[in-house]
Amino acid sequence: MSERTAPPSIELSAVVRTYGAGTPEEVRALRGVDLTIPPGEFVSVAGPSGCGKTTLLNLLGLLDSPTSGEVRWDADSVGERTDRARARLRLEGVGFIFQRFYLLPTLTARENVELPMRALHVPRGERTRRSVQLLEEVGLGGRERAFPHQLSGGEEQRVAVARALANHPGLLLADEPTGELDSGNTQAILALLERVRRDRGATLVIVTHNPDVARRAERHITMRDGAVVEDVREA
Amino acid sequence: MTRWGRGRSLRHSRLQLVLAAAAIATAVALPVVLISVGGGVSAHELANLQNAGYQIVVSAAGLHGITHAHGYAAQILSISGVTAASPVLSVTIDAFTTAASASPVLAEGVIPDQFIPTLGPSEAGLFPSSLPLGDPTDQVHFAHGTYSGAATYDVIVSTPYAAAHSVSVGQRIVLSPVNNFTLGTTYNVTGTFGVPPTVLGPTGAFAVLLPLSDLQTMTGYAGGSAAAPDAADTIQVAVAGSIATDPSALDQLRGQVQALFPYYGVSSLTQEAQQLQSASGVLTGFYLALSSVGLSVGLLFLALVLLRRVEADRRSIGVRRALGIPGRSIAAEILWDGAVLALLGAAAGVLGGYLIVEALAAWATSAVQEAAQLAVFDPVILGELVVGVVGLSLLAGAVATRTALRMPISEALR
Repeated sequence: MSERTAPPSIELSAVVRTYGAGTPEEVRALRGVDLTIPPGEFVSVAGPSGCGKTTLLNLLGLLDSPTSGEVRWDADSVGERTDRARARLRLEGVGFIFQRFYLLPTLTARENVELPMRALHVPRGERTRRSVQLLEEVGLGGRERAFPHQLSGGEEQRVAVARALANHPGLLLADEPTGELDSGNTQAILALLERVRRDRGATLVIVTHNPDVARRAERHITMRDGAVVEDVREA
Repeated sequence: MTRWGRGRSLRHSRLQLVLAAAAIATAVALPVVLISVGGGVSAHELANLQNAGYQIVVSAAGLHGITHAHGYAAQILSISGVTAASPVLSVTIDAFTTAASASPVLAEGVIPDQFIPTLGPSEAGLFPSSLPLGDPTDQVHFAHGTYSGAATYDVIVSTPYAAAHSVSVGQRIVLSPVNNFTLGTTYNVTGTFGVPPTVLGPTGAFAVLLPLSDLQTMTGYAGGSAAAPDAADTIQVAVAGSIATDPSALDQLRGQVQALFPYYGVSSLTQEAQQLQSASGVLTGFYLALSSVGLSVGLLFLALVLLRRVEADRRSIGVRRALGIPGRSIAAEILWDGAVLALLGAAAGVLGGYLIVEALAAWATSAVQEAAQLAVFDPVILGELVVGVVGLSLLAGAVATRTALRMPISEALR
């Protein structure tokens, strides 16, 4: 699998996500969200802590299933697919970037980037070539053999970006990607993500608290109490 | 193996892995020792039975309990298929080369031309092919139970006795039922026979073989008011070629012998071998049951370690699942880790068991040492043991796998 995956058109209809339903600890993380994200769009999702941003991102990226409502990719209902089918869609079509990077500590930078490719049985030579190229692309040429603990926070996040791009996904989902970075690294990572989106034509959804980050998107979604309260496109 | 721990947790993880492997190794070493030694002793006994040279044995309760041994032997010999019927009387007597050199010896009285030597590889060839004891049928001296015929007074002695007392063929020794030279009878040494020194202790190694009637009269077992007439301990029966290896034909022949002497025990060595094998199988099962307790503890520990690893690595597992790596790959990795650990533990256990047996064979007390020296390491049984442990470890790993894959990804990433 080395072909670029076309970004899907994503549609959420009346999506509700409740955790611990029927228990005293019941939490309604999303309360009937309707949302459409066309292919290639750069969307920021902002809002206070606990408003449902990460839950929304998990549903967009098929990490989670809605309690009710529908998640559609290109008009195809994918939210209710089996775990295996959703895993396959994630592997081929989604790149995740997490706030805490989540690199596997016992793998080198290159091995971390190769991880999604291995799952797709990309031949070893192709894997190595592509991972080295991706690391160069994110400014980490020559650091392929470094382990995560030998990298700075900014470098770790660059590796995470390279890993997210490994299988040429059409959808990039970033959950507070600059939350643990200083301003210099924040700017560098944002520039990198924008360049990747532009070059690859991928859809980019960033969850962020940072207004500076949100400002760089072309569409701004604001959430509160599990609902979308504002959805603004730049002119 | 993939390790997802870090720093101190990685060291803890390694320690847990080492301890789990050690627990399995300990659990495996026990059955290896028990089965190899137990199996070895059984195999040795079985080989002894198979190499006995005779296939049917007539025995009676009590000391020298078979009476009329010469006559019964003749009756057995008349049964079709029987090639030899050898009554044997074993009594400890004293042998003297001079009046002051009493030495207890194990005396065996036999009918020379019916004597059945043991066929085992370490015993075969120890006896002369024809015993040089004068009257081959032992009928002259026996004289139809009157013991009035001329005795040959021939004896053959064991090589250890001959060596210890500088006795050679042609020399004379005195044999007495008690430690009293004056009550003894002078015998001509007409030959020697070897004794496997590893099988018999010193007393057994000092042995003499003489005509049955001679030993009976010497020890009072020719008959009379105080002793059974024409006594023997057993009558060993050898049969011709194909019958010897056909259990049903042998059993039929055993029935014929039993019909002659319903009041004596008649058993075939096939039966005894089957009983021995059956007992050995029961013992092996018992050993395995006993060992399964230790094995269960080892595998529970392994399951616990795998579960702890899954718990410790929940975020890494969550990341992999988030990236879309199939659950079966993650499951395979956890199962592989468990299987490799169990394999290493089991291999260490087999090696440890082997070393323990070797140590017992070298340094244990004599009885244990002797048993350990007979140990047999059957690669099939050891292989089955290792495969069984690995199989059970997969079950243990399945518990950890289930936990890993049932964890919601979003929770694993928190």
